[in-house]
Amino acid sequence: MKKKYDFLFTSKSLLIGFTAFCLLFIGVSFFTDKLVTPLRTIVSTVIVPFQKGMNNIGLWTSDKAATLQEISEVMQKNVALQGQVDALVEENNQLKQDSYELTRLRDLYELDEKYPGYTKVGARVIASSPDNWFSTFKIDKGSDDGIEVDMNVIAGGGLVGIVTQVDSTTATVRSIVDDNSNVSGMLINTSELCMIKGDLKLMDSGLIHVTFSDKSSVVRDGDKIVTSNISTKYLEGILVGYLKDVKVDSNNLSQSGYLEPAVNFEHLQEVLVILEKK
Amino acid sequence: MKRKIGELILIVFLYLIQSTYGRYIEIGGITPNLLIIVPVLFGFLNGKNEGIYVGLVSGLLYDLLFNNIIGFTALIFMYVGYFAGCYYKKYEESEMLFPLLILFIGNMSFELIAYIGNFLLHNKLDILYYMTRIVIPEVVYTIFVTIIIYKPLVFLNAKLESKGRRRVKNFD
Repeated sequence: MKKKYDFLFTSKSLLIGFTAFCLLFIGVSFFTDKLVTPLRTIVSTVIVPFQKGMNNIGLWTSDKAATLQEISEVMQKNVALQGQVDALVEENNQLKQDSYELTRLRDLYELDEKYPGYTKVGARVIASSPDNWFSTFKIDKGSDDGIEVDMNVIAGGGLVGIVTQVDSTTATVRSIVDDNSNVSGMLINTSELCMIKGDLKLMDSGLIHVTFSDKSSVVRDGDKIVTSNISTKYLEGILVGYLKDVKVDSNNLSQSGYLEPAVNFEHLQEVLVILEKK
Repeated sequence: MKRKIGELILIVFLYLIQSTYGRYIEIGGITPNLLIIVPVLFGFLNGKNEGIYVGLVSGLLYDLLFNNIIGFTALIFMYVGYFAGCYYKKYEESEMLFPLLILFIGNMSFELIAYIGNFLLHNKLDILYYMTRIVIPEVVYTIFVTIIIYKPLVFLNAKLESKGRRRVKNFD
């Protein structure tokens, strides 16, 4: 009986069978999510608790490592300070820096206050994309917490990205530095429109491409860019970042340059999801 | 059965490491591709069928949680596993260079296809930049990781092997 079906298990027929299986899935996933969603839900219910646990271990170790590092830093500082008379000067400098930071934070707070109506939900980043091509990550809140596709994600007062996929317990977020990301933005003071495009080539500098379609718009380094009023997916007025090196293009029609994102994407731990869609 | 479960646990474990600790072990923004190691090694050590199964499972896992197109990575990993399985019995386990060569070819072609699908077709033609900044560092990092975990994985493979199909180690 067993012999009869043995020809099905030779490596050639296995290869052909599974190739057809994969091609079917690829074909179907171009059109609909229906076939894959149950599979995805099953896998994430198994995987996500582990990811959460491993993340907690990782956070704990990095916390401890940071504490150790801090201790040695403090000791070094102590030795250095004892011999120095200008300790007070240094402290004064620090206070000045703090006050700069305070004014910056107040500015951000004002911006936040301007659009207070949004309800937000906090979420923790539990996994990042396994390949090196994309900047997508998973958060530990899903449709059970009211998250839907196309909701905006912010952190520290700036735009992080947009939700692209939702399970019952997790959601996938595409960040604005991702190569496929396009955000319509505007200058906060003159409402000049611009296009913000993520680019993998800028991964070392952490910047994003920005293009103004109008050559005559007056832009300066450090100008604030927020999400625009004409965007179809992004809510209006969320801070995206600060302009840098904007120049007129060689076509003499548009201007382009870079944008320094307001959010530090390096080690993003917690994000806020705005539970409202445009 | 014990073998299948053991392999599944190994794949899930490597996937978890890659997705959660990937951003801690990255060098210059590049994380190694841990999941492609499994089909290469298990195909090389146990034959074509094993390579196909392991490649399919690890590729599906890779696809399911992040990609929108399901089956693409599974397809490539499966062929990599099959390709590695073609050299089963021709080389000894102790020859580490050969699986490394298969890994190099497999990982390189996987990343190249990913580049063509996601970037080249989006009019990002600077292939030299993407090769030198993304693909080659990733392949080198993956090979480096494989050199470290090769011996433990071979040991694990021997542990999982059922008595009936134990490989003949000494010919003479």
